[in-house]
Amino acid sequence: MTKKGVKISLEKGLQNQIRDFFKKGLEKGVFDAVILPVRVPGKDSYAWILMNNAKLIDQANPVPPVMPVQGAKALKALTRKGNGIINVATIMRSCEIRAAIELSKLNQVNLEKITLVSYDCPGAVPMKGYNRIPEEMEKSFQNALAGKDFANDKMKEVCGICVDFANSPADLHFGFAGMENDGILFSNSDKGTAILDTLKMKCSEDDSQWKNSVNIIKEQKSKNRIEVYKSIQPEVEGLDNLQTTFAKCIGCHNCQSVCPICYCRQCYFDSSASKQTADYLQDKAKNRGGIGFPRDKIMFQVGRMAHMSLSCVSCGQCMDACPVDIPVAKIFSYVAAKTQDTFEYHAGTTADGAVPLKVYKQDELNKIHELIKNAEPQGSQHE
Amino acid sequence: MSDWQPKILAILCNWCSYAGADLAGVSRLQYPPNIRVVRIPCSGRVDPLFIMKAFQTGYDGVLVSGCHPGDCHYLSGNYFARRKFAVIKPLMEFIGLEPDRLQFSWVSAGEGERFSEVVTKVTKDIQKIGPITKMVKGV
Ligand code: SF4
Ligand code: SF4
Repeated sequence: MTKKGVKISLEKGLQNQIRDFFKKGLEKGVFDAVILPVRVPGKDSYAWILMNNAKLIDQANPVPPVMPVQGAKALKALTRKGNGIINVATIMRSCEIRAAIELSKLNQVNLEKITLVSYDCPGAVPMKGYNRIPEEMEKSFQNALAGKDFANDKMKEVCGICVDFANSPADLHFGFAGMENDGILFSNSDKGTAILDTLKMKCSEDDSQWKNSVNIIKEQKSKNRIEVYKSIQPEVEGLDNLQTTFAKCIGCHNCQSVCPICYCRQCYFDSSASKQTADYLQDKAKNRGGIGFPRDKIMFQVGRMAHMSLSCVSCGQCMDACPVDIPVAKIFSYVAAKTQDTFEYHAGTTADGAVPLKVYKQDELNKIHELIKNAEPQGSQHE
Repeated sequence: MSDWQPKILAILCNWCSYAGADLAGVSRLQYPPNIRVVRIPCSGRVDPLFIMKAFQTGYDGVLVSGCHPGDCHYLSGNYFARRKFAVIKPLMEFIGLEPDRLQFSWVSAGEGERFSEVVTKVTKDIQKIGPITKMVKGV
């Protein structure tokens, strides 16, 4: 199904187009404030800033090379206690939008007064590379953006396997993949359509060219994804391999605190309930011939997999934050594909519906019923 | 290894399977003494982490038993339990635990006999798989 969108000239650059859009929106009152990334004074990172004046928008970079704080976390901070009276708009990467959608399904973000805008994401530069050589990284990111290069190897590894780079349920989306000098701005929701109407932006441009290009890139990325999953499998499948991979984990729990989806106020693994007495541990060590510290390295990850992999959006934040370079996000992406597939769920890609553990159907998961049946005593009369 | 006996954690719903176990006891039905029972309000309360913890602590198997579909005391808890169960299975495969170490069954309060059959069957299954060695290392 082809869609119509607003033709956008990219002559002045995508960033300027987006800034103009937000300024116009503020001016016409379709939203009262915006949240945009602004480069920090030290020039080696970005911070999300809630702002409502056009001058500040000029200082913002709506499409920054890095993702120091996952945008969904900024929205969570803003709406944790419910939405306010003002309408706020923001532009984020697809994974940030998808995380925000997941969080709204989990009642952690309130999107009622938020307008989400996304764009064709060329990926994000890993924070660790960026903060050492920011200017160089700015340049290579700008080149990737201008060159519409969606397979740039300077980006995070998970970006190379992201099939949703141009696909998010944001209210509005700036597309430009595979297009020559123009881009296309289109709406995915009633909210988005109303905004375009108020701003008198006419949807006359056909999205088929953009869509075709996106599909071609997507196909390549799906192939990469299969390859990466194949390569990570021997490293992480099975407890021995997991233990080898996480042997160097220092237990800092960075991976959890930067994860947009890990939203619990207190994690079980940080609580005293998870801690054991010296006697217990000494006993364990005696029985096993030794135990390692910090404790629960694998259980912590398995717990996270059990609790949040159904909503993992493969944003790569955890891997970016790991001080000892464990490929956490690749592992989570791999596991998430398994658990999400069970429910034919793809985290954050649809604005409506519920997360898998919040709903059920009476007649479903026949595989599980098979298992139950296999476990039945012989000759049992029950289903 | 011949005298090895599996230890199985049985997580039973208060309203059906636990009562079923009670009935089995009252009716003096025999079943293997390998299970250690934890009573919970509803099978929907079972967090995947409970199960992983049980394996980490050294249980050779886990049996979760709740009400039959449609019979949940809280109307839908066992349907949610089924969904959680569907998440744990691929995770167990991922970390290389035999998925059969975890078993799920529906036993109602009136099914004392069925309870003893289920426990017998589960114990036999776990016996076949053998002692858990994987999670018991320095995890
Ligand atoms: S687990 Fe890692 S990749 Fe998945 S949502 Fe959390 S931070 Fe992003
Ligand atoms: S960020 Fe890395 S080192 Fe820290 S807890 Fe996570 S895996 Fe371990």
